[in-house]
Amino acid sequence: MSPETTVDRRTFLKAAGGAAATASLAGCIGDGGDGGGDGDDGGDGGSGGTLVYARGDHPENYDPQQTTSGEVAKVTNQIFDQLILFTPGSGGALEDGLATDYSLDGESANVTLREGVTFHDGEEFTAEDFRATYRRFADDSYDYYLGENRSGYGPFTLGNWVDSVNVQGDYELEIQLTQQYAPFLRNLAMFAASVLSKTQIESLGANPDDQVALGTDPVGTGAFALDQIDNENQRVRLTANDDFWGDGPQVDAVVFKTITENSTRVQDVINGDSHITDNLDSQSSQQVEDAGSAELLSKDGINHGYMAMNMARREEFRSKEVRQAIAHAVNTEAIVNQIYEGFASQASQPLPPGVLGRNEDLDPYPTDKEQAEQLLADAGYEGGFEFELATFSNPRGYNPSPIETANQVKSDLEEIGFTVNVNQFSTFSSYLDYTSAGNHDACFLGWYTDNADPDNFLYVLLDPKVDLEDVPDGQDWVSFDTEGYSTLNVSGWANTEYMEMVREAQRTYDEASRRSTYQEANALAHEESPWVFVDYAKTLRAANEAVSSYTISSVGGPYLNTVTIN
Amino acid sequence: MSTETETETAAETAAGRGLLDRLRASPFLSQLLSNRLAVVGLSIIFGMLLVALYARFVLVAPDFGLLFEAPRAFVQGMVSPDISLLTRSRLGTGVPDRAAPGWTVSGVPANERLFGTDASARDIYRRNLYGAWLALKFGTITVGLSTVAGVGLGIIAAYYGDVTDNVIMRTMDVLLAFPSLLLALALVAIFGAGLWKAVAALTLVYTPRFARVVRGAALKVLEDEYVDATVALGAADPRVLVRHILPNTLAPITVQSTLNFGLAIIDLAALSFLGFGAQAGEPSWGLMLDRGVTNGLQTGKWWMSFFPGLFLAITVLGFNLLGDGMRDALDPRMREAVD
Amino acid sequence: MVSKRFIAKRLLLLVPVLFGVATLVFAILQLAPGDPARVIIGQRASAEQIAQVRDDLGLDDPLWVQYGRFLLDAAQFEFGQSYKVAQGRAVRDVLADRLPVTIELALYGQVFGILLGIPLGVLSAIRQDSFTDHATRVGALTGISVPIFWSGPLLILLLSTYLGWLPASGRIGSTIFLPTSWTLFGMELPLTGMVTVDTLLVGQFDAWISAVQHLFMPAAVIGIYSMALISRMMRSSMLEVVRQDYIRTARAKGQGARITLMKHGFRNALIPVITVIGIQFGTLLGGAVLTETIFGIGGIGVTIVDAIGASDYTLVQGTVLTFALLFTLVNLGVDITYSYLDPRIDQ
Repeated sequence: MSPETTVDRRTFLKAAGGAAATASLAGCIGDGGDGGGDGDDGGDGGSGGTLVYARGDHPENYDPQQTTSGEVAKVTNQIFDQLILFTPGSGGALEDGLATDYSLDGESANVTLREGVTFHDGEEFTAEDFRATYRRFADDSYDYYLGENRSGYGPFTLGNWVDSVNVQGDYELEIQLTQQYAPFLRNLAMFAASVLSKTQIESLGANPDDQVALGTDPVGTGAFALDQIDNENQRVRLTANDDFWGDGPQVDAVVFKTITENSTRVQDVINGDSHITDNLDSQSSQQVEDAGSAELLSKDGINHGYMAMNMARREEFRSKEVRQAIAHAVNTEAIVNQIYEGFASQASQPLPPGVLGRNEDLDPYPTDKEQAEQLLADAGYEGGFEFELATFSNPRGYNPSPIETANQVKSDLEEIGFTVNVNQFSTFSSYLDYTSAGNHDACFLGWYTDNADPDNFLYVLLDPKVDLEDVPDGQDWVSFDTEGYSTLNVSGWANTEYMEMVREAQRTYDEASRRSTYQEANALAHEESPWVFVDYAKTLRAANEAVSSYTISSVGGPYLNTVTIN
Repeated sequence: MSTETETETAAETAAGRGLLDRLRASPFLSQLLSNRLAVVGLSIIFGMLLVALYARFVLVAPDFGLLFEAPRAFVQGMVSPDISLLTRSRLGTGVPDRAAPGWTVSGVPANERLFGTDASARDIYRRNLYGAWLALKFGTITVGLSTVAGVGLGIIAAYYGDVTDNVIMRTMDVLLAFPSLLLALALVAIFGAGLWKAVAALTLVYTPRFARVVRGAALKVLEDEYVDATVALGAADPRVLVRHILPNTLAPITVQSTLNFGLAIIDLAALSFLGFGAQAGEPSWGLMLDRGVTNGLQTGKWWMSFFPGLFLAITVLGFNLLGDGMRDALDPRMREAVD
Repeated sequence: MVSKRFIAKRLLLLVPVLFGVATLVFAILQLAPGDPARVIIGQRASAEQIAQVRDDLGLDDPLWVQYGRFLLDAAQFEFGQSYKVAQGRAVRDVLADRLPVTIELALYGQVFGILLGIPLGVLSAIRQDSFTDHATRVGALTGISVPIFWSGPLLILLLSTYLGWLPASGRIGSTIFLPTSWTLFGMELPLTGMVTVDTLLVGQFDAWISAVQHLFMPAAVIGIYSMALISRMMRSSMLEVVRQDYIRTARAKGQGARITLMKHGFRNALIPVITVIGIQFGTLLGGAVLTETIFGIGGIGVTIVDAIGASDYTLVQGTVLTFALLFTLVNLGVDITYSYLDPRIDQ
């Protein structure tokens, strides 16, 4: 999923209503049932019918290259395929998608494509389609190049790593990389790397504004084809692609409908008007648990919510003891159990569980105020100091109650003498502006994985991406205006030992040695504590009892092609 | 015979006397008090005021934790410091239910919880009473600020005329070109959410209404000769404005304020309902209604949305009854029955 | 008779107001927190990419250049592309999709209000100071005191949750999908976007029933409010008219009070009521935000709430301007109608 996923959008959105009535209504409307009751028109034993997926938001453009939204990806993942897929529910294992064979070798990747796959419009899928997909996204010499202002994923997924894509034959691709890059295969599995049709790309105008039309009529190779985007009623309807190359689809159609209010949406699932929904909070989870007709599915999420201490801005944070003292003082157990109500687990290191290179020997910093005071005294900051803690206001998956969390941190730290000024931002984008400029003393942020690769956390978030030579000797931080600095690293941390490790691992193709390097890097990050590691949020879904064979997944998906409804 | 001229005459002779005297001297008050509905409105408002003061100064201290966000209360040990006492949910993830033993989540109205409890086990009755305090406090501030701003702008526009008048009133026209709630929403997009910010947005939205009414009334006063006479006698601008024009515009201002009070309370609640006013945990009626709709509508827990809305509607009705009565008292044509 | 000059003058007066409105809306975007570039390309974007996007969008141009460009575009009803909610789609297209939804809702609400409000007002006036009159007056005052975000949920609780008679949200059954066009004499024509009309155009009667069932509660909620206002105005306006000389004369001639009232009063009394209906229509548009939110209807009311939530400022701009334009035009229409109906008005 994408970082833009928020858990509870109630602050802005609500559609009271919805559910309860529609169930009892099916009969009297006379429209053949409102969603749920449609299992009977498919006929044969559990297959057929319309699967209704309820969600909290209705985007209007379904182009995987023109979005940063997880809501868009939920739909495009049904319509499009990637060359390589995440194994459903695995937490980052890969399996064949439109490619049947792939390997990384030095600075190139060789990919053999699946034959006999057709797009929904009947065109055959070949290597040229992937090349056009890549070029539209990241090659500014291509006529149909989208430009920079469509999505942050262009350079991030392909652009920064791919030098060129060469077609070796109808079903053979050679991808030249800009460097050895181990996460590359996982990048190919990201929603943003969905394979588009060259015919469609080039049938639209070369102007990026004309390419917008692709998002209102997306043509892919996926299990479902777009039937209708009904903006007035905030619905999308997909129909089964009978020529789908993979498993399924089992149902005749999928309807994505929009119910903004969490508990209303969940109630819709409980009533059987919808079958599956996501973005649950504690309230709505409880609702599912209490209901007999729906099930709460939960899985460890691949994400991390943290509090970064900005070493570039505050001298005090440059002392490891101070950072450790804060890590000991902040009661992350209370945050996770009381404020997040157990829908997250306590974090001990940058990498969440289940990801390659996770170090199981590390435990969360125990809450210990005496030790915290001792560490502060050792560092020469007895009684703490005053600093600013920036926070956003609206819940996000990894931090469902940002303000309360900030207040908890404040009261924990004020117990050992700190003065914490909470600085609250009303919009997330203005918050990102602030933190990526390095204007904060300390801030909350978090990350949902893109590709379930350790590099996606350890390199992306904690490596400043500056030249090693630009880090002064004996210093483990750099300022935000250092050349090449990546503002995704909001703590200014620049530990050269750590940087060497994660850069090395990024180029290592051998999984065992990658794993051990990352485990070491995790241990170092734990020790140095540039962040207070707060939590890993769980992935939650609710499914009606009519649903079977649905696999909940923390990356990729939702996998609806295998789902049947009874 | 029109009361307007009467008030003017009264005010003319009474220039310099206190506001109360003037009110007593005018037939306005007696007219108003003879209007049964207006008296009912006044009683409602007075009753709500008592409720608000009670909630704010008597009730809140011992029950603080019941009023605001429950989890915070746990964390800070305000209610039940012993987390192990909390029941655990069936999820098996160690999720403590929000409520300590003896607390009821989403409880039906019963003896000890008159209006039931909400999804965080908070007492809706007490929260509702506190809501009266929030509504009246922020309503007063909103109406007060927009009255002051509107009166100032209206009188200045009327008195100076010409360019000043044009600039002020055309700006007011622009603000009036938006449906009021919508402009407030757009402003909240800049200011961000929160009760105080909602107050700021609504103040800007309401000011033009006052400015228009006041300007009209002030122009009428200016047509009368005595102001000219005062100016001729050498009274300085601010003196004329404050001593002569302001008192004579009081009646329309009062009516407008009263009617606007009801609107302000509704709009503040609407902004809270949409998530742009009161923030999580604040016991404002709008937000309670929103939570009630969210947590109770599908499952038939009517008390969660019924009571906050009832309080809100009654309060607004109070102001509307009073305002209506005031308008009738000012404009006796309405009373002249066809009999 | 209303003169062309009057209309021309009123239209001319619109120009500075709309100019001011556009300026205010531009200011909103400028003052709003957050970099649009960040809104569009998200957390993963690098500093260079942000700079590139700012450049593409002309966000680094001097303010007056941006302002000029905005005014020119706004004059052509062109607000650029949505940042987020409909990322990449033209704001104009989004509004074209959503506007009919809101207008349909407002129209039904208004019709409901007029059909009930006018008779009630007349009744109240005829029986002035009777019990019926008092009850109607208090009822009307109550009607405008009850917020739609309370009456809405209560109706849902009653008619949906408990009785199960009506659907609580949406505009049509969730598995009913209409075709995107309809055919008349072999010509393919676009649909109107108003679901109660479209279902009939494509000849799906079942769908029409579903649409009407979905629309009933939201229209009623709006209608109750509107009915309260209209009946109040109708009553006082009738009493006002009756007070006037010609009615006294008629009565002096021996006609009964009620007949007089009906015969002479009603038509003249309608004039100010029409004003109220017009003004009320504008308020309705504002109320659409709440009604749509409560009933999960995706009109421009919900659009603006979504857009604010997502910091999608081009969409906020476009929606707010559309609201203001509609509001202003409705008011203009009311003024002109008024001057037709009441020739005494100063032209």
